[in-house]
Amino acid sequence: MSSSESNREVPLTLGRRDFFSWVSSGLGGAALAGLLLREGRVSAAPLPGEAADLPPHLPAKARRVVHICLCGALSHIDSFDYKPALAKYHGQPLPSSEKPDVFFGQVGLLRKNDWEFQRRGRSGLWVSELFPHIAQAADELTVINSMFAETSNHTPATFQENTGFRLNGFPTLGAWLSYGLGSETDELPSFVVIPDARGFPAGGTINWTNGFLPARHQGVVFRSKGPAIDDLAPARPIDLGQERAARELLTAMNQRHLASRGADDALAARVRSYELAAKMQLAVPQVTNLDGETAATHALYGLDSPDTVDFGRGCLLARRLLERGVRFVQLFSGGSFGNPRINWDGHENMPANHSQEAKRIDRPVAGLLADLRQRGLLDDTLVLFTTEFGRTPFSQSAADVVGLGRDHNQYGFSIWMAGAGLRKGIAYGATDEFGYQAVDKRVHWNDFHATVLHLLGIEHERLTFYHNGIRRRLTNVQGNVLGDVLV
Amino acid sequence: MARHRSTLVLCLLASSIWGLARADGEEAEPEKVAAARRFDEVVAPLLARRCLECHNASDNKGELDLTRSEGVLGKSARVVPGKPDESYFWERIASDEMPPKKPLDAAEKAVLHEWIAAGAVWGTDPIDRFRFTSDARAGHDWWSLQAVVRPEPPPSARPDWTRGPIDQFVVARLKSQGLEPSPAADRRTLVRRLYFDLTGLPPAPEEVAKFVADDDPLAYERLVDRLLASPDYGERWARHWLDLARFGESNGFEYDEPRRNAWPYRDWVINALNRDLPYDEFARQQLAGDVLLPDDREAIKATGFLVAGAYDTAGQNQQSLAMKAVVRQDELEDIVSTVGQTFLGLTVHCARCHDHKFDPIRQNEYYQLACSLEGVRHGERDITDPAELVAFVARAAVAQARITALSARIQAIEDPIRGRILADRKTGLADKSAVLPPAPLARWEFAGDLRDSVGRLHGKEHGGVTVRDDGLHLDGKEAHVTTGPLEKDLHAKTLEVWLSLANLQQAGGGAISVQSNDGGVFDAIVFGERESAQWMAGSNSFLRTQSFAGEPEVEAARRTVHLAIVYAEDGAITGYRDGRPYGKPYRSSGLVTFRAGEANILFGLRHAPVGGNRMLEGVIARAQLFDRALTAEEVAGSAAGADAFVSEAEIVAGLSSEETAERRVAIDERGRLETERAARPKQVCYAVLPRQPETSHLLVRGDIRNRGPVVAAGGVASLGGASANFALPPDAPEAARRVALARWITSPRNPLFGRVIVNRLWHYHFGVGLVEMPNDFGFNGGRPANPELLDYLAATLAARGWSLKQLHREIVLSATYRQASTRRADAVARDADNRLVWRKSPQRLEAEAVRDAVLAVSGQLNHARGGPGFRDCTEVLRSGTYTYEPADPVGDAFNRRSIYRVWMRGGRSGLLDAFDCPDPSTTSPKRAVTTTPLQALALLNNAFVLRMADAFAGRVEREAGGNLDQEVTRAYQLAYSRDPGPEELTLARQTVSQHGLAVLARAIFNSNEFLYVE
Repeated sequence: MSSSESNREVPLTLGRRDFFSWVSSGLGGAALAGLLLREGRVSAAPLPGEAADLPPHLPAKARRVVHICLCGALSHIDSFDYKPALAKYHGQPLPSSEKPDVFFGQVGLLRKNDWEFQRRGRSGLWVSELFPHIAQAADELTVINSMFAETSNHTPATFQENTGFRLNGFPTLGAWLSYGLGSETDELPSFVVIPDARGFPAGGTINWTNGFLPARHQGVVFRSKGPAIDDLAPARPIDLGQERAARELLTAMNQRHLASRGADDALAARVRSYELAAKMQLAVPQVTNLDGETAATHALYGLDSPDTVDFGRGCLLARRLLERGVRFVQLFSGGSFGNPRINWDGHENMPANHSQEAKRIDRPVAGLLADLRQRGLLDDTLVLFTTEFGRTPFSQSAADVVGLGRDHNQYGFSIWMAGAGLRKGIAYGATDEFGYQAVDKRVHWNDFHATVLHLLGIEHERLTFYHNGIRRRLTNVQGNVLGDVLV
Repeated sequence: MARHRSTLVLCLLASSIWGLARADGEEAEPEKVAAARRFDEVVAPLLARRCLECHNASDNKGELDLTRSEGVLGKSARVVPGKPDESYFWERIASDEMPPKKPLDAAEKAVLHEWIAAGAVWGTDPIDRFRFTSDARAGHDWWSLQAVVRPEPPPSARPDWTRGPIDQFVVARLKSQGLEPSPAADRRTLVRRLYFDLTGLPPAPEEVAKFVADDDPLAYERLVDRLLASPDYGERWARHWLDLARFGESNGFEYDEPRRNAWPYRDWVINALNRDLPYDEFARQQLAGDVLLPDDREAIKATGFLVAGAYDTAGQNQQSLAMKAVVRQDELEDIVSTVGQTFLGLTVHCARCHDHKFDPIRQNEYYQLACSLEGVRHGERDITDPAELVAFVARAAVAQARITALSARIQAIEDPIRGRILADRKTGLADKSAVLPPAPLARWEFAGDLRDSVGRLHGKEHGGVTVRDDGLHLDGKEAHVTTGPLEKDLHAKTLEVWLSLANLQQAGGGAISVQSNDGGVFDAIVFGERESAQWMAGSNSFLRTQSFAGEPEVEAARRTVHLAIVYAEDGAITGYRDGRPYGKPYRSSGLVTFRAGEANILFGLRHAPVGGNRMLEGVIARAQLFDRALTAEEVAGSAAGADAFVSEAEIVAGLSSEETAERRVAIDERGRLETERAARPKQVCYAVLPRQPETSHLLVRGDIRNRGPVVAAGGVASLGGASANFALPPDAPEAARRVALARWITSPRNPLFGRVIVNRLWHYHFGVGLVEMPNDFGFNGGRPANPELLDYLAATLAARGWSLKQLHREIVLSATYRQASTRRADAVARDADNRLVWRKSPQRLEAEAVRDAVLAVSGQLNHARGGPGFRDCTEVLRSGTYTYEPADPVGDAFNRRSIYRVWMRGGRSGLLDAFDCPDPSTTSPKRAVTTTPLQALALLNNAFVLRMADAFAGRVEREAGGNLDQEVTRAYQLAYSRDPGPEELTLARQTVSQHGLAVLARAIFNSNEFLYVE
């Protein structure tokens, strides 16, 4: 597009496409160069609270992360944790000395897994028919079957999954990485969030908060409809000439002001931020435009099917963002709670609920893994597939009934990781015979986070930020790197 | 071998110290006393510094408590007196195994070796490891814990510059570092600085011009007094306080329900600051206003502070009692932590699981504070004006008398015709299609009592139920009714109720419920739980619940509606409203049987236990229970009011036209009066709803399952000042606990109370506090940049009756505050961060001030003060969970100051966030100042900013229309409080002449000069 220059004299209303072409040809030229400052840094002086020794502390195996976050609690015993005893004792009570303490207080009889398990790939990892496509990538996965959570209440558990703490107000993993590692691009945010097309998870923006870290580390939502991010383009159509005039005038005014104030970092940084904003205005529409991807790629991610198109688009966008230097992309599978269910919270009917949810993500996630592998990205990218807790091996029903639903289970559940620096095709840790409680090599979120940070070249005890009395860490006061899952 | 050699060296090293000790002693006994003293002075501090962090009574790693002689010399004999090499304690130290991360150095080892060798005499027992400040923690001698003593201002080395004591302290510190203060800023800069600082708004150009031209030496002082007296001051400084109070207007966590009545606390803060409520009283009322001033409704609002944080509704309502207790402990930590940081600058919450790692705060002291606040519960308090209530009662009585008269008249008109119709029915003359309903198992008329008029299932009231003529009044909090146990098994059944609701926003309340005695199994008529405003057949874990997909309720807040749910043998469940089918019936997985003696009936509560979203708020006029599934015709008949029912059409058909007209007029008037009688004035606010707690225990390692000793309300001993022992028994009334806490915190002898608030004022006036971490006056917060100045300010505040306005006044009148903000290379080289205040650092406007300044400059600011806030988001309710989508509402009502923006925790504002508006989840003592491309995009492109740029352009054109130079000049005056220079004028004129004024307006809003105040 080079038409914008020739349109200079003609007042015209900018469509988004025209606007961005103007940014490139207009601001991308002399005006943009004028915005650049030699010593301008986007972040001003170091903030009080910052750790003295920011990463890297170790050689990094992974450079970037994509985190698939399943809201509502995936049933581990129907997906990655095979428990033959459930079939054997189906319809019998859980043998236990005390009544299990569950969220809704209803302990029914044991219910067998609703999806059959098979050994998969060369590794022989057990994966159920719930995820037939992900199962084909079993040899890429590092499954942890011995997770446990501190609460069986969704939102605090989700906070802990993402921040290490049960309470509001702590920074999320993506924010910590943005703070600790910064970004490899200045054209895109370092932490991007792609919510479920059906809506935000419960708690909304709290789920990607910067907590007490500076606001620039907050996750930036990329929407699937309309402009991808807020305020990328003017909220109302603006005449092309006016847009340019406003920017040029602003630049001139800021330059005069800066010149009269001497070498002030904060003022210089603001001037530079407008140059980066212009770059972002170019980069965001480019990265979100999936038209240039081949039909084969579209099919790989499931963009050819109504069941998978939503999550497939998210996964494909995630790959494009990662390729362009975004540090952390978080995809949510599932919206808020309530009926009809739009997340994994299968209280009433496991077969119906989990089928509905798995169908949306199975192909796209498998496609993402395959695509990252074929592009060589999986060698230094970490894929995380987690959920806030698991589900009970007994049904949520009267004590003498095998109901269709399962309640929350904080005591044992499964997650998996894939990619950089991990031992592939293994299952780590174990729950008891019925999948109720993690018993062997139990893993807390603090351990999980310590391991993720380790793979990114960060010692979890050294990535700190001082807040209200404590040098806070993602891992609170605990956390052990899971050496057994590392190469 | 190597170890032996080093031991020898150590002995030699140490002998000098212990030699001294021996030289002091004369006799054997005195020698022991001297050794004990030596232990206290040399050994104990060493142990405290290097060993006791992990080996103490509360945190005894390896089951070793080194604070007590018993733990060292007692049964376990970790130390064998006189024999280091046989002492396990020494062995671990000598081998460098302990301390694990940084072993003791040779001199330290020598001290311990020689102490053992000399007989291991113990001194004070136990060792108070908090006594001395070390390189790892603060002790009782930490600077901030010492009493505040008003220091004498040092004589000024720059009498030409200093205006008062503040300047004397500042200049002394500057001189000591070889620095000079800066000269005063020009008058334009000063007036702009004062306006933004004290009111958060820019000065009008006329104000600037007047001040600049005013050569009265008292002009500045008069300006300060005027701004401090302006109501804008409270709106500005309340915003700072709300940051500390973690004030949000929704619950956060999963449901994130809006708090529609949180704003009275916000208004209380604004008003308290504006009327200069003394700071000690300001604090006391926020901690215990409701009990200190029981007749003052304002004081109830003040307690909104304690409960301004998040609330985990889902966690508080779960079935697992153990997990519920953890949620409550987390909630208490939020409250204790906010109180400790806000008023004391102490991070007491760090002592929830163990003694504080850096400050002299013991774990049991955390639990003493928690016990002091344990009666604090989130809730709504009625703050209706009693005078209004009295007036209402009088009005209502008049209305009632008239209603009675009208009813009698209506009845007199209707009775003859009704009597005739009913008589005709009996004699078979009338239509018999109306089917009479069957006899119920139980019927409650709720006409003044809770009796079952058919059987023996009489109701019993709980939680403040009131029964009036019109039915059973339920407050949605704890009010509900239970009956005795069922006398026969119930399988198929029909639940029926006539009721009105207090509001249609409520979600989850049960009207009538059959439940097993423990509440574990139930069937109930439930309102709005999973779908807003819809009726549903509630059941345990939703096992028999599906959506009827009925119409959302729109009438029940205005009139009584009839609801019935029929549970058929085959599992089919059918809903009815006003006798007609409600939505679609469905087939459930099968009915449960409620056994005689094991189940009962509830009204107003979905199922036991009481609380959460299970409570209904409204009036139940009547209810019936049937032990079988009624047919649709039977339900219709029942809804129509049994056999005495005569339809409106039948009556009207029988009346003369005069009678019809008179009756119509009477009915209309009665309707109006009934509405008036029902309009009981009611104002509520989100505040502390106290509840007497159970006994408090210390929780070992913070673990709810691991209860330690019982604790009573108390404070932190290391503060000195007023006693931390409140002399209250563990079961003291919760009110007494909070009063004692409030008195202890606001005691004039409390060294932190004054220091912390004066530092906050300094922080907001200068951008950085004398203590850099305004919420942490402990070890991690560091030491003040100018301790004498801090104490001078603290002592001055207390001496002047805790008037914050007087302190503001003294600060902004100082030469220190009036300094220019020019960078000076010489000073930057010595004190780049300007901690010693050699200039006034430029400050970027905070998010709210950016928005408010844009509104003010554009001439669009709506100054309406107080009351419910405005919303810039839409509320999406899905099954009890709220989410908030940003919106861009347009209009004067939304152009109020940002402090009146309704602040949802789960719904943030892109524009404000871009300027570092904090997450209201935790207390925010200082805001970050960051610069990002997203910030640039927000300011460039946000709809609000663009709209205001147009308004700004319009204003300039109106006020200086026609002349380009005047327009540009006016724009500069409004936005920058100055005229443009010749080059600026030329530049702007070129742009404006070609592209219009809005372009200039937009550039100005994005410019650094607009955002930074010098």
